[in-house]
Amino acid sequence: MKKTLVSIAVLGYFGVSVLLAGGLWYLWYRTDPAPVQPIAFPHTIHAGRLQLHCTYCHIFADRARSAGAPPLEKCMGCHKTIATEREEIRKLTHHYEEKRPVQWVRVYALPDFIYFTHKRHVKAGVECAMCHGDVAGMKRVRRVNELIMGWCVSCHRVRGAPRDCATCHK
Amino acid sequence: MKRRDFLWLLGVVSGSTVMSACGSPNRSAKFTSYLLPPEEGVVPGEARFHPSTCTECPAGCGVLARVREGRPVKLEGIPGHPVSDGGLCVRGQSSLYRLYHPERLRGPMLRDGKTFRSIPWEEAFTRVSETLKSSREKGRKNLFLSCRTTGTLSRVADAACERLEIGRLPEYEVYSHSAVKEANALLFGERDVPHYRIEEADFLLTVGADLLETYVTPVAYTRKISTAQAGGDFLWYHVEPHMSLTGGNADRRFTVTPGRERLLLSFLLREVATRKAAQNGFPREILAALPPATAESVARDTGIPPESVKEVADRFLAAKRPLVIAGGIATESPGGVGTAAAAALIQYAVGAFPGRVDFAGRENYRNVGTLRDMEELSARMGRGEAGVVFLFRTNPVFSLPARLGFRENMKKAQLTVAMGEFLDETVREADLVLPLSHSLESWGDVEPRRGVMSLLQPVLPPLHDTLSDGDALLGLLGSASGKGPAGGYRDLLAAAWRKRLGEAGKAQFLEKGFVEEMLPKRPVSLDGRRAADTLRSSTSAEEVRKPVLFLVPSIRTFDGRSRILPLLSEIPDPLTTITYGPWISVSKETAARAGLRDRDEVTVASGDWKAVLPVKVQPGLPGEVFVVYRDAIPAPPIRTDPRTGGPVDTIEGVRITKTGKTIAIPILSGSFSQQGRGLIPDPVHLEEERRQKRWTLYPEHAHMEYQWAMAVDLGRCNGCAACVAACHIENNVPVVGKRDHLKGREMSWLRIEPFYEKGEVDFLPMLCQQCHYAPCETVCPVFAAYHNPEGLNVQVYKRCVGTRYCSNNCPYKVRRFNWWQHRWPEPMDRMLNPDVPAREVGVMEKCTFCIQRIRGGKDKAKDEGRKVRDGEFTTACAQSCPTGALTFGNILDKESKVYRLAHSERAYRVFETLGTVPSIHYLRGGKT
Repeated sequence: MKKTLVSIAVLGYFGVSVLLAGGLWYLWYRTDPAPVQPIAFPHTIHAGRLQLHCTYCHIFADRARSAGAPPLEKCMGCHKTIATEREEIRKLTHHYEEKRPVQWVRVYALPDFIYFTHKRHVKAGVECAMCHGDVAGMKRVRRVNELIMGWCVSCHRVRGAPRDCATCHK
Repeated sequence: MKRRDFLWLLGVVSGSTVMSACGSPNRSAKFTSYLLPPEEGVVPGEARFHPSTCTECPAGCGVLARVREGRPVKLEGIPGHPVSDGGLCVRGQSSLYRLYHPERLRGPMLRDGKTFRSIPWEEAFTRVSETLKSSREKGRKNLFLSCRTTGTLSRVADAACERLEIGRLPEYEVYSHSAVKEANALLFGERDVPHYRIEEADFLLTVGADLLETYVTPVAYTRKISTAQAGGDFLWYHVEPHMSLTGGNADRRFTVTPGRERLLLSFLLREVATRKAAQNGFPREILAALPPATAESVARDTGIPPESVKEVADRFLAAKRPLVIAGGIATESPGGVGTAAAAALIQYAVGAFPGRVDFAGRENYRNVGTLRDMEELSARMGRGEAGVVFLFRTNPVFSLPARLGFRENMKKAQLTVAMGEFLDETVREADLVLPLSHSLESWGDVEPRRGVMSLLQPVLPPLHDTLSDGDALLGLLGSASGKGPAGGYRDLLAAAWRKRLGEAGKAQFLEKGFVEEMLPKRPVSLDGRRAADTLRSSTSAEEVRKPVLFLVPSIRTFDGRSRILPLLSEIPDPLTTITYGPWISVSKETAARAGLRDRDEVTVASGDWKAVLPVKVQPGLPGEVFVVYRDAIPAPPIRTDPRTGGPVDTIEGVRITKTGKTIAIPILSGSFSQQGRGLIPDPVHLEEERRQKRWTLYPEHAHMEYQWAMAVDLGRCNGCAACVAACHIENNVPVVGKRDHLKGREMSWLRIEPFYEKGEVDFLPMLCQQCHYAPCETVCPVFAAYHNPEGLNVQVYKRCVGTRYCSNNCPYKVRRFNWWQHRWPEPMDRMLNPDVPAREVGVMEKCTFCIQRIRGGKDKAKDEGRKVRDGEFTTACAQSCPTGALTFGNILDKESKVYRLAHSERAYRVFETLGTVPSIHYLRGGKT
């Protein structure tokens, strides 16, 4: 009787640890895949209906390490006159006029010790959608993969890109 | 413990470890958009380089600030700059620590009893202007004391003082070169330090002047000597009464009895004047004023063997373009002006003026005063004559001898206004503190020597509520006079530059960071009578009583001003490898006689001054001669030279007594002897090694495109450690502190090892050798260390679990372990290079050959569809080296410099017999 009780207790303890570890990973480490942005920018309209190419706004995607968010001036180029009655456009205009840059919430974030350059990938012919998914169909941008090392390496292997550790590990 | 209990404990511990993990750093990370697109050419995430000037010492080396995300993260010398020509010394590299130092003054402060309270700038200025007026009414004199200023700032300070009726005092520098200036003034009517064109000489004799360390403009001199040595027929002899890094690097070094340098130079002057045909109409009266001397009598008086005395004279006379430079400790001795005068006369006699010694490009020390000027100032303040006293970027309370009573007399002034960056010894005593911006936050210009103007431009907005030098002075002027010039200092500068250079010239100045005017060489006219008088009055045997203590500037802290930078305490002193803590260098003779060993505590006393210091035995120091660096002694007991008014940095008749205790100071070198291993300069068994066929179990590595390698020219390396500082800053290497150093746990990826053999010292820079058959790779249980296809030994931080077996196995001992989670106190965290990750606790790190730069270089080359060109980029250490001792490149490229050097007959590798096949090729000392 005592033996079974002890076994259950030990198993239960380890079970709880495993659940805790899993919970920690899922809830603590894993950030919200589709966070609420300060301005509800819909890619469905811009990339979808209007069929603007990604690099129309994300101008540094093929020129720099980070694709970055477009400068507000680009948005205002159209939205000075278009859809100005909407709440979100009003928010945008306020930001621009008050000279307050928008603090977007990161959807894709690589750790500090990883060197990733958009330029090399875009120039190598990797389509934006390959990593970022069908952004044109997303009303709110959602992360479609966790950017785990194994996933990156598998594509590098298939396409013959360097698999040297120092390529990405700074 | 029973096994069951042990397993139970293991389980509990592993379970609780999971629960103790900390949060993810990337949780809802934000990123900010631009408002307006960045200007053309600006790419986010890419560095921009902006020219400015280093202000860590008065030399004025031009620097390029590497700016990432709107803040400078690295400084590099401007290639082609007339002073630094691409190099930057250990202090210059570390000066970023000054910009981001957490203890910088953050705003104006007013004395409030024993402490200070913050006040706004307007209130500070108002208080100053009111007190200026009231002290004038009371009949007191307002005074302005500054460090050496040049360029527009100097003119603005003059103008402001004139307008506000403030007496502008002679500028105060601890190293004012008073004796040299006095000698030049008496002989040639030029009260300044001339420009020395060492690169044009074929024989250089230096007497006391520490050219490689701190003398006037060390990076420039180091560069010039390297250039001259590369020419092939250059010889450099150094004479000094103690042991210095400069002496250790000269081709031949002679130790002279303290105070007797003058006699050697007088002998040399006599030889030059009689054996060489009379040049420049050398006045006869000077010869008559020289004491009679023979090589033997000089040898007796100076302690230099007669053959050496003859050798020096013969070589000097045989040289076609000889040059002699006397300065430093040789002229800061009793009778120093005689030494300087003798040297100047030798220069005159061999026709070194105006080609190799040129007053046209003088070093702008004319307005710098003497120690006597400071005595007068202190006395004036003591008599209650001073109204408002401005102390601009100067620390007299620390550096002036206590007998001047400067600190006490400061209190008698009506208002002391200290303008500086830190709460140092002087600022702490002031009534009003006005914080100044760092030079990287300011607009300005400096004229390190005549004919050269170097730009100061801000590369980030001021971190704290500070004003730039010029703006602070203009603010004072505006507040006190009721109206200042329209616009700030920047507009004033722009107008001045436009006027001097024209619009096109100004644009070029702003882009290049410097402008050099080719000034016509200025011939000198010798006042023979005064020269003869000077020589005659110096002939009385001014003996320096031994035991003598020399107080000298240090390459790490100069006159003590750089001691506040943590990195400079972390980097070992080149000769002793001591990091933290002051020490006194003792000769082997004295140590043997008095039974002193390293770290023994001694009291050093002279008169009623006393200090307690640990001992370090210094090979090369003559008996009864001691050396202490200037930063170790606040308010030192130095005399004033009655002839020049300058300091006498020799303390005679010191008493050294053992206390019986020891002081723990970190001496990082494992051994100053090579233990017969023949590391440098001539590796033993080299021919044997070359002939041996190596048998290995490992397959050979294939390097397709690139194989990175480095060549270290030991003939050029002088141990200055500029590379060490550059590496620290480029790679975010933390400063670990004294406690870890005492345990032997240094963090620096690159170290300079001094080895003393046969009375000479050689320096071996040791860094990760990027071995092809690395002993560290095979023992890593998690494959964190591996050999990459480009020849590097890569350390993957994220894989490392901290076994430390790799460091154990490394024969070169170049691997560094993070024993702690190092934190960078705000705002020092902004100094971190974003291209290099900050390592966590428990991770091994080491030199990576600046893989971030390799990556950047390859990226750029790939954009242009080509391979990397030789010299396109280089490692941080190689970039900073003022002598060009380090060369980095792709050894597969047969046209590259590193290929040529690695295949030269001077090349060898350290510990070749171990079969590690390092990628670093050392070149034996000798002609480059």
